[in-house]
Amino acid sequence: MTVMQAQTARPAGRSLWADAWARLRQNRLAFGGLIFLLFLMGLCLLTPWIAPYGYAEQNLSMGATPPSAAHWLGTDIFGRDLLTRILYGGRVSLAVGLVATAVAAGIGVLYGALAGYFGGRVDAVMMRVVDTLYALPFMIFIILLMLVFGRNLLLLFLAIGAVEWLTMARIVRGQVQALKNMEFVEAAVSLGLSRWTIIRRHLLPNALGPVIVYATLTVPSVMLFEAFLSFLGLGIQPPRSSWGLLISYGVETMEEYPWLLIFPGLALTGTLFALNFLGDGLRDALDVRAAKD
Amino acid sequence: MIRWRIVALALTATLASLPACTPGESRVESGNRLGIFHIGNGSDPESLDPHVATGIPAGNVFSAIYEGLVVSNPYTLEPEPGVAERWEISADGLRYRFYLRQNARWSNGDPVTAEDFRWTYERYLTPAMGNEWAYMLFPVRGAKEFFSGDLTDFTQVGIRTLGEYSLEIELKNPTPYFLQLLAHSSSAVVHRPTIEAHGSPTARYSAWTRPQNIVTNGPFVPYEWKISRPLKVRKNPHYWDRERLRLNEIHFHPTENATTEERLFRAGQLHKTNTLPTDKVPVYRAANSPALRVQPYLGTYYYQVNTTRPGLSDARVRRALAMSIDRAAISRSILRGTSIPAFSMTPPGTLGYQPPAVFSFDPDKARQLLAEAGYPNGTGFPSFEILYNTSEGHRKVAVAIQQMWKRELNIDVTLTNQEWKVYLDSRDNMDYDIARAGWIGDYVDPLTFLDLGLSSNGNNNTGFADPHYDWLISEHIPAARTRPERLARFATAEAYLLEKMPFIPIYTYQSKYLLDPTIRGLPPNIRDHYNYRYITLGSAAD
Repeated sequence: MTVMQAQTARPAGRSLWADAWARLRQNRLAFGGLIFLLFLMGLCLLTPWIAPYGYAEQNLSMGATPPSAAHWLGTDIFGRDLLTRILYGGRVSLAVGLVATAVAAGIGVLYGALAGYFGGRVDAVMMRVVDTLYALPFMIFIILLMLVFGRNLLLLFLAIGAVEWLTMARIVRGQVQALKNMEFVEAAVSLGLSRWTIIRRHLLPNALGPVIVYATLTVPSVMLFEAFLSFLGLGIQPPRSSWGLLISYGVETMEEYPWLLIFPGLALTGTLFALNFLGDGLRDALDVRAAKD
Repeated sequence: MIRWRIVALALTATLASLPACTPGESRVESGNRLGIFHIGNGSDPESLDPHVATGIPAGNVFSAIYEGLVVSNPYTLEPEPGVAERWEISADGLRYRFYLRQNARWSNGDPVTAEDFRWTYERYLTPAMGNEWAYMLFPVRGAKEFFSGDLTDFTQVGIRTLGEYSLEIELKNPTPYFLQLLAHSSSAVVHRPTIEAHGSPTARYSAWTRPQNIVTNGPFVPYEWKISRPLKVRKNPHYWDRERLRLNEIHFHPTENATTEERLFRAGQLHKTNTLPTDKVPVYRAANSPALRVQPYLGTYYYQVNTTRPGLSDARVRRALAMSIDRAAISRSILRGTSIPAFSMTPPGTLGYQPPAVFSFDPDKARQLLAEAGYPNGTGFPSFEILYNTSEGHRKVAVAIQQMWKRELNIDVTLTNQEWKVYLDSRDNMDYDIARAGWIGDYVDPLTFLDLGLSSNGNNNTGFADPHYDWLISEHIPAARTRPERLARFATAEAYLLEKMPFIPIYTYQSKYLLDPTIRGLPPNIRDHYNYRYITLGSAAD
């Protein structure tokens, strides 16, 4: 089944997107995930105005304390409020996760679609480039990038995105290759549509399902990658923090101060669950073929 | 069928590799039964050549496999007889005459002679050897000149044999701590025929240190060493005092991750750990664990300042930085009472020396000094970086200090961490603003800390070069006639150094580790020095 047929089946003329939105709203888990993510993002965005403490504000004599009325999620060994730090950390983690994934998806989808659509020699050359890049040790590549361009948060986002797009490109290429010989594409060609329009209007929307699923998987790996780079001294530097860093610090003292691990861990896993539910729901909503099965 | 055979093979291999273990018995239990001491040793020693290795893990091994003229008593740290059974010191303190015991033997049965020591010290000081410990023998007449190449004839150096079993060493100036230098693990004696059989005498990575080749004169001799596996040493069958040795073997386990090491200890895999994660200390304290050892250590944790950077070149600024660090809070909250706040480079009580009290935690005075230097309330002060080598502990201290400088002086500081070797490189090239550093005393004397400020000292990479300080250390202090006078001059020099503040002392180290409570003969001491001859394991003590 194809998009064209789905559209003709509904003479009311609802667009693909309106259709998908309606389906998404019926999926409670996915919609719940979306609400949760929006709520968390809103909270993180507003943090500088609503947080009761500063993220670098220390109270050494207090030290690590379990959750209390004054500090809802407790404090770390410097006596800094954990809730405030999780919210500030969330700004970094969510931004890294979303920006880097968007960069990766942008490059990967475009690259994969072109390679898949043109096929032949173009495809061979483009995919050999991807193979070559796969062979590079990315850790070293990013570390080099950071050393050359200095430590800059935006650059960190871009650098991570720039190395995460390869798998995405392969997935999209495979999808486009499978789709481009289907009847609706032939129909589009015979209607005289330009190549670019065919890719944009007919191929990409149909390839979105796997892209979205893969993107939701990329977000957590990017967040952990950021924590790793920060630990090496290349990412976020103290006193700023991110969820990945908070967790890696929490692990070291999990027997003494378990709350330093539990709450950042909950924030990260909650977000990842929400993202996965949402991704799942989006795939169902957007993939017309799957929905008809 | 084939699969089962593989399993059986794997099982046999596993069993064969653990011949000492009966099922259900931990390594500590089997060690107690067989006289094997299992000790966590941080990392693999870089070499078993005492003229090559400089790290503490190697030093721990050297105390077991080599023996110098004198050794340190683990209780008092006073020198006591090693290969030399007695010695005489001339009235002017310049001539040391050592009488070697005639029953001292190498692990292949050869006698240890005065010529062995003379040859070892020649190798020690040969420029081509590149021995980083060479400065330890510089008090010897002509040693520094020989090492720097100004003197090529070793007979001109004040070390000579007086017959097969006696050795005379002549010093440049009276050096009260000279016997301590000879007791240091780097002053071990090495076996000339073995070294010469495996290549050039000054080759840094020759095969003579391999377990199958090495010949040593200490209580123990290595017999197995693979990278990342325990280094195993066993009783030297020819050691002169072998009757009194209570241990049969020592296994030095490389344990770079302190958290893992602590778990190994809990699982009965180690008799002693190398260290203990700071956050574990309160847990063991609360449980009143008899295994916990926290004791003063002859080392200072400090921040060194690159005195060539704008802003930081002003001594008033450096003092302001030093005065605005709340060391008590750091020691209590971050280091969990495992360190002592330091207001001097020399740890208090180093051989009876009390360092001068020049400054204290005084934010008001600090702000005033900063204003005098032209930066009232921190305005206009260039932002700078604290460099530290990647480690949880260093990060915590840096985060706290960063905030203290922000709060008290309104100065913005960023943190940078680098991997150990990169960090050392940055420090050596003065490619930093302020860098975390630590200094462990080589011997118990204030000089080992205060000569860091000498303009000629290779470890002084702060840009601090002060002729008056150089004079105090290299001329004024050696000219002191009595011990109290010498210590008083040290106090003057240290007060001067703290006025200039190229080094900002933060805390005095304490060593912290876990020790099986049934072990005897491993007393706490400020050098964390062990003499394995004194150690008895649980079962042997009962």
